[in-house]
Amino acid sequence: MAAWDLSVTVEDLGSDAPPVAISVASDLHVGGVILKLVEKTQIKRDWSDHALWWDQKQQWLLRTAWTLEKYGIHADARLVFMPQHKPLKLGLPNGITLRLRASFSCPVFQTVMGICRMLNIRHPEELSLLRPVEEKKKKKDKDLAEEIYDLTEVPLSSVSRPCLYNGMPAHFVDSPQMEAIYKMLSVTQPPPAPEVIAKQYRPASVVDKAHINGRWLDSSRCLMQQGIQENDRLWLRFKYSAFYDIEPKYDVVRLTQLYEQARWAILLEDIDCTEEEMMLFGALQYHISKVAQSEPQMLSTNAAMDDLESALMSLEVKMEGENSSASELLETMTAPELCDYLKIFRPKRLTLKGYKQYWFKFQDTSISYFKSKEESIGEPIQQINLRGCEVAPDVNVASQKFLIRLLIPAPEGMNEVYLRCENEQQYAQWMAACRLASKGKSLADSSFQSEIQSIRSFLAMQKSNSHGNATAGDESINTHSLVSPRYHKKYKPKQLTPRILDAYQNVAQLSLTDAVMRFLQIWQALPDFGLSYVVVRFKGSRKDEVLGIAPNRLIRIDLGVGDVVKTWRYNTMKQWNVNWDIRQMAIEFDGNVNIAFSCVTADCKIVHEFIGGYIFMSTRSREKSDTLNEELFHKLTGGHEAL
Amino acid sequence: MDQVSDEEVEVRGEEEEEEEDSDKEDQDLDKMFGAWLGELDKLTQSLDDGRPEPPPQQKAPLRQETNMANFSYRFSIYNINEALNQGDNVDLDALMADLCSIEQELSTINNKPNSSSSSSSLARLGLTDTKVRGRVRVGLGLVSLIRTAPDQQQLQFILASLSMDEAARQTSSHSLSSASSYTSATMRRPGASQNKNEEQAAKLKAENIRVALEKIKEAQVKKLVIRVHLSDESSKTMMVDERQTVRQVLDSLLEKSHCGYSADWSLVETINELQMDKVRQRKWNKLTKIDKKNTTVFVFQECFGGSSVSVPEMEGVLWLKEDGKKSWKKRYFLLRASGIYYVPKGKAKASRDLVCFLQLDHVNVYLGQDYKSKYKAPTDYCMVLKHPQIQKKSQYIKYLCCDDVRTLQQWINSIRIAKYGKQLYTNFQEAMRRSEAAYDWSSLSSSSIKSGSSSSSLPESQSNHSSQSDSGVSEMTSSGHTRSQSVVSSIFSDAWRRGTQGEVRT
Repeated sequence: MAAWDLSVTVEDLGSDAPPVAISVASDLHVGGVILKLVEKTQIKRDWSDHALWWDQKQQWLLRTAWTLEKYGIHADARLVFMPQHKPLKLGLPNGITLRLRASFSCPVFQTVMGICRMLNIRHPEELSLLRPVEEKKKKKDKDLAEEIYDLTEVPLSSVSRPCLYNGMPAHFVDSPQMEAIYKMLSVTQPPPAPEVIAKQYRPASVVDKAHINGRWLDSSRCLMQQGIQENDRLWLRFKYSAFYDIEPKYDVVRLTQLYEQARWAILLEDIDCTEEEMMLFGALQYHISKVAQSEPQMLSTNAAMDDLESALMSLEVKMEGENSSASELLETMTAPELCDYLKIFRPKRLTLKGYKQYWFKFQDTSISYFKSKEESIGEPIQQINLRGCEVAPDVNVASQKFLIRLLIPAPEGMNEVYLRCENEQQYAQWMAACRLASKGKSLADSSFQSEIQSIRSFLAMQKSNSHGNATAGDESINTHSLVSPRYHKKYKPKQLTPRILDAYQNVAQLSLTDAVMRFLQIWQALPDFGLSYVVVRFKGSRKDEVLGIAPNRLIRIDLGVGDVVKTWRYNTMKQWNVNWDIRQMAIEFDGNVNIAFSCVTADCKIVHEFIGGYIFMSTRSREKSDTLNEELFHKLTGGHEAL
Repeated sequence: MDQVSDEEVEVRGEEEEEEEDSDKEDQDLDKMFGAWLGELDKLTQSLDDGRPEPPPQQKAPLRQETNMANFSYRFSIYNINEALNQGDNVDLDALMADLCSIEQELSTINNKPNSSSSSSSLARLGLTDTKVRGRVRVGLGLVSLIRTAPDQQQLQFILASLSMDEAARQTSSHSLSSASSYTSATMRRPGASQNKNEEQAAKLKAENIRVALEKIKEAQVKKLVIRVHLSDESSKTMMVDERQTVRQVLDSLLEKSHCGYSADWSLVETINELQMDKVRQRKWNKLTKIDKKNTTVFVFQECFGGSSVSVPEMEGVLWLKEDGKKSWKKRYFLLRASGIYYVPKGKAKASRDLVCFLQLDHVNVYLGQDYKSKYKAPTDYCMVLKHPQIQKKSQYIKYLCCDDVRTLQQWINSIRIAKYGKQLYTNFQEAMRRSEAAYDWSSLSSSSIKSGSSSSSLPESQSNHSSQSDSGVSEMTSSGHTRSQSVVSSIFSDAWRRGTQGEVRT
């Protein structure tokens, strides 16, 4: 067979180097071409990751056994010989940018799998890559070089066979720098400065929200085919809101990044919530950042033991050690008391009586009060059991107001009682005691001290806010960092503090993991959770409408009405088709319901992939959760390319 | 009994401040308790002597526990008197047996070191006391009532069953009633030192203490004597303990009445004072028939079929009773996981503009009865949201009225799902499993499981403040009669299967 010259650009020779010409025949297979090429360059190195890229056809020549003829390559083909894995700047949900080597040759679905393996994120099928929103660079921003954490040195072999040390992939244990990066991935970021939140792009309408979804990369094609170049910037995000089998023990990075994505979705109002919910999200963020600072490890211990059990345990331990009688032991375990002069006020209709001072005693879960300390041996004036009551703060540090509001349910209704404390110290103790008692815990409970601490740190926060600009102390977080910019306008930080504090009391005792899980739970319970929007044009309609794609349904939003006008559920879906020529999607539901639409703000492949992706997510099951059925994913999402 | 009430009144009269609002009248409780203290002491002594005595004829206000914690001993006071007065065939023997066993328990405990660990069990106590009182309403159909407390509070439990059609009256029924009661509680360390343990081998010590603590725990469990009214106008008295779930109570009831196991039964609490959940068997049957398939199954599929348990999308115009007035205003309400909201006037229903009507942590949902005539409600399809411990009219009780029964059912079911989440479904599955297991023999041997209509679920009230995670909760939502059971359950399990497939363990 006649030999002819094939010129191949070898990337490693530099961009200025001329193409290398080799003499080939049409029956030479691709592997042979590569061999000749390597010999000719006379460079000794590991070429195993290199492959040929056919520029005109936008195609990798990965089948080394195929001949040039079979590929249809002639002398005019522009071929590039280059590594399949190239560095990529990857923006993570927590705002950090990594530089790492990702596959440019396999479908994006697999590229994401590789990235997730490197970062130790399970269930990579839920994530994908998207082109970032261009940031308008202001002059002053240019000076601030963004810090990029480099992972390009991680050997690819280590990624393909991950093994964990101390819960970390081996390549993160290599050096302190690498360990620091892993910490960056697995520990939540501190709340952003309010200005940072305000500066970020916020979608103002559902149409704005739709535009982001036009940026997702095609999962069935490789990065090279989608015009992504070496060192380009991409975002890694959770794409499908169906988070399978979250296991805090194994999902440290996954959970952290998911939390960060959710947090930003809330802060930037990517998803709507009510004011009450916003305050709760704020309280959880505050709590999470506080606990994350104090807890060295993300992995927290399991829930505290049941009181009785722990009492038993300590009893048993003591029994071993000392030879005292059980009754004596029990005596030493008597719950501590809290006694002090406080002022009480019970609001009633038609009375203007103010606060009266009494001697208060906090015992077990009850408060009793007496005329004076001297009379506290006798019958109390009243005793109030706080179990099951509602406890709310009414505090203003600036004006030294420390009120505890108690709502105590009784058959006749609620009894409202205010306790007035003199100072922070007193307030923190009594408030902590009231909160524990409302949950049926006594002062002896192990959480008493930590409860006091959390109340004080929150007071400190209010204090720093009331002093104008927040200082950079550990304890002081500007409450504007915890809510969306809408509330920056609506409330001053010191107005926000009591609201967040109010919500905070219900979450203050959560462990870090539990708090993160709670945040995600509440996020997932929002009515608009999981909706990805695309502007579409329904067949026969003359105006743009919005299609919302959720994990279990599709919704149609009329932009004129501004509301959901129709819902279709996947479980009533019979089939869907894409007409790739006219870029139209047609879906058939039970009962002969047919819809068809073309996509305006995103390619119809993206919409197709979303729907197929959710169907795929719903096929996952516990038994085979370890192996990802890639083939099925591509079948459901690939479209004509998969066939 | 009357004496006690008089005392109560007197004490109240002495109050220096007028209590105009019923919400604020608990100040006198301490005094009331002071008055009872003497009697309690006597009781204590008799128990200590190991000579159990029948309970005195005395009333125990339900609020007793509020202040009990600081008494040295707490005992139950069984108000049999009331039961006797009712002239029903009270099962005194059974009651006595229960009492004796409790007393025995108590006296054993008194001989043992007691602990300050009362805090832990008290925690349970608090929860439970609501639990028993708050109850569940689910199912419907034939009903029975239990009256628990003296005047100030009348709790009635209605045992309802859907599967029992009106024709199926042959159910045996019994009824009992009695007054509320409490069993013991706090144990302080007895004054005398206890050397018992010292005498024992060191090895045994730990074990003994464990046993002691268990007993304490047991003793601190509150017990309540309830009367269950059954469909045939009869009633049955039984003692329930706060740790029991409604399901367990039902199980034992069903056993006692030889009905065979079925998931279709439920207990319904009625509060005469507020005209909630009165017994309206026939009406109930009809109401529920209409709904079961549409509402319950629908809602369940929606909510449990997703990747995580979500709150049903419930929204629409409801009537809200204005505080203190008999007038009702229309508002557009929305249900979210974080509570019930309404749209303020002149605003769109964007999330950020919604006004929080109430959060679900502390309230339960009840069904209002006859509000059309009592409160001039626009329709009779009313629901009530209140803290389970509130038993009288109060500004903290919210009344809502729906245009039709279907809407009412959907709201009630949805609120319950929002409040209890997966627990409801788990309970249902559990009951179905057991009922299917029991079906084989029970249906053959008894005629009680009859074909009939379908059922639906009514609100349940568990007094659990702590939300769905509390394992003590359990009631059931209803289901259809046996024939339709399997259909329904398969629908449910299908929905569930779908749910678990994409489940997130959050």
